[in-house]
Amino acid sequence: MAKEQVFFALADFLIPAHGKMPKFSDVCAYADVEKSLDFRIDLKEGFARAIATDPSTGAEAHLEKINKQDGEAFSAITTIAIATYYMNPRVRELIGYPGQENVQYDSKATQIYLTNGSLGHVIARGRKYRPTPGL
Amino acid sequence: MTVEILAQRNARPGRDEEVDVVIVGAGPSGSVAALHLARAGISVVVLEQGEWPDYDDYTGARPEHELVSTKLWHPNPNVRDSPNDYPVDTSTTDINPLMFAGVGGSATLYGAQWMHFLPSDFRVRSMDGVAEDWPFTYEDLLPYQLEIEREVGVSGLSGDPAFPPRGAYPFPALPMGSVGLRGALGMEKMGWHWWPGSNAIPSEKFGELNPCVRRGTCLTGCPEGAKSTTDRSHWPLALKAGARLITRARVKEVETNDQGLATGVVYIDANGRERRQRAKVVILCANGVGTPRLLLMSGGSRNPHGLANSSGMVGKRLMMHPFASVLASYEDPLDSWRGPFGQQVYSLEFYETDESRGFVRGSKWNCMPSGGPVGVSGATGSKVYVAEEGRFQDFWGANLHENVARRFGHSLIWGIVGEDLPEESNQVVLSKDLVDSDGLPAPQIVYKVNENSNRLLQFNIDRCLESVRAAGAIETLVSTPVRESGWHLIGTTVMGGDPKRSVVDQWGACHDVPNLYVMDASTFPTSGATNPTATIMAVALRNTHRMIAERRNQKVA
Repeated sequence: MAKEQVFFALADFLIPAHGKMPKFSDVCAYADVEKSLDFRIDLKEGFARAIATDPSTGAEAHLEKINKQDGEAFSAITTIAIATYYMNPRVRELIGYPGQENVQYDSKATQIYLTNGSLGHVIARGRKYRPTPGL
Repeated sequence: MTVEILAQRNARPGRDEEVDVVIVGAGPSGSVAALHLARAGISVVVLEQGEWPDYDDYTGARPEHELVSTKLWHPNPNVRDSPNDYPVDTSTTDINPLMFAGVGGSATLYGAQWMHFLPSDFRVRSMDGVAEDWPFTYEDLLPYQLEIEREVGVSGLSGDPAFPPRGAYPFPALPMGSVGLRGALGMEKMGWHWWPGSNAIPSEKFGELNPCVRRGTCLTGCPEGAKSTTDRSHWPLALKAGARLITRARVKEVETNDQGLATGVVYIDANGRERRQRAKVVILCANGVGTPRLLLMSGGSRNPHGLANSSGMVGKRLMMHPFASVLASYEDPLDSWRGPFGQQVYSLEFYETDESRGFVRGSKWNCMPSGGPVGVSGATGSKVYVAEEGRFQDFWGANLHENVARRFGHSLIWGIVGEDLPEESNQVVLSKDLVDSDGLPAPQIVYKVNENSNRLLQFNIDRCLESVRAAGAIETLVSTPVRESGWHLIGTTVMGGDPKRSVVDQWGACHDVPNLYVMDASTFPTSGATNPTATIMAVALRNTHRMIAERRNQKVA
């Protein structure tokens, strides 16, 4: 089995189709995976070990084995899989994530806690600190 | 004129040039000292082992943010593994120390939560019979706190009944997002204290700082240049005033003469060459781990147990604020990727001692957004919400989709900072095995979370769960104590009046070496339970003003 196929088999176990959400290989190409690895070259060795052998016993058993025997490889393949998936524009659209966006606001606008009485309750409950005169 | 041009113009001192003051570290405290000393006409050189930040490297606005930041901008230097960092031996600690080397210091990766210590923090022995009182009071420090706020550009709302009356903040409080409003709702239902967050993030343009756009990536560097760090708030002014800053300069030793006075420092430059910077006064601002490490490396044959260490207290009493977090998810959307990240709301309901709770001192809570889908999945990267005995299948497959659907955009995090009482057994020592890239011994952290902290955290977690459930939480996840939480490095060169029990006096001057100063949080006798940067900068300003006023009486070599 080619390394790409090994990865997709493992990634689709980790991130299967569920409800409205697609499985990994439905939305992400291997080029996306390689791009993620270029952002995290520290993960390349572990990632390579994770897909070095065919998951002949099945994806779940293969991942279980990596998790127990080579935590670095498990961390590498899972980190790359989940990050690549949630960087995908289609996936972001499905979960309603615009990314870490720029939100404009009026710094002088009156905040709701000043008008609905909630902060007034805090003030009305009185002083919280312990004074220390003379100590 | 840009900061970069100023930095180039202010050239390295000549080989044998003696300056008035050399400062080790260009973080919050070193930057304050450099600016005010330079403005007073004192010649200042600052040595910083890291570099100027490149804001293009901050990935917050890019899709790869969650992937890159867990390595490049991880607050643990052992994970980040940058050539500018030194490694830390964490084999003997419950909590990992977090820090960053660069102009702006560890604040590069802070949440910018801006909190004063409370009056009782300075009188812990008198009021609660534990630890020590500070040599000065809340009232003594307040003028410096307010002066620093104007330099930093803090946003907030005054009138909080948890503090004595104070003046207005320089800027209006940042908008409270849905996260903050939901956090406040829970506190309101319980009848507990809460207040809109105060942050070192101006809500309007201020000098080199841009207004916050609520991108929510404060902890991994602010790509907007809105979070106040001293590379933007202080260094442009310090360079104009004549301060000189040398980056990629790793100090290996403070030198002294036969009279026991400091004569300067030896450092390793960017090319690996050993250099000497002579100075009349040396100020250490290298944080609660780096400062004692440097003193312990500086003893020489005259001081085999470290410089300024006749008390034996250098490195001891390390406090790191044991930290717990509660993630709460709600049915309705909270847009919980939006900032400000640091604190939209804080609470000091359980800050003061109540002996009926079974522990002394207390806590500060801060309500934060929970971030992007990778982080809230709990599946990888941070192990914050993953039990050691957990099965990986619990976080993958259909569970991944369901966890993300439940939490992403629908959750908040309450961070619980507990006061850490000083214990001499919690300390920074030099590692016998681990060295940095220049072959200098790495610091080793010996630290146990004590029973008082464990009880304090559990009490506060229980109360926090009551609050979030009162506001309708459908899921809660608790982590305590969070191992990757040692942001606050405090207490390792304690200040006090007795040279046999303390390292520095109330002005930061070492008892043993009167022209050697410490101006970072190493000097704090106790830790309080609030984020310490405001107090670090205020104490540094107080010390610096005193140094300027007493310059003619300063004993020098």
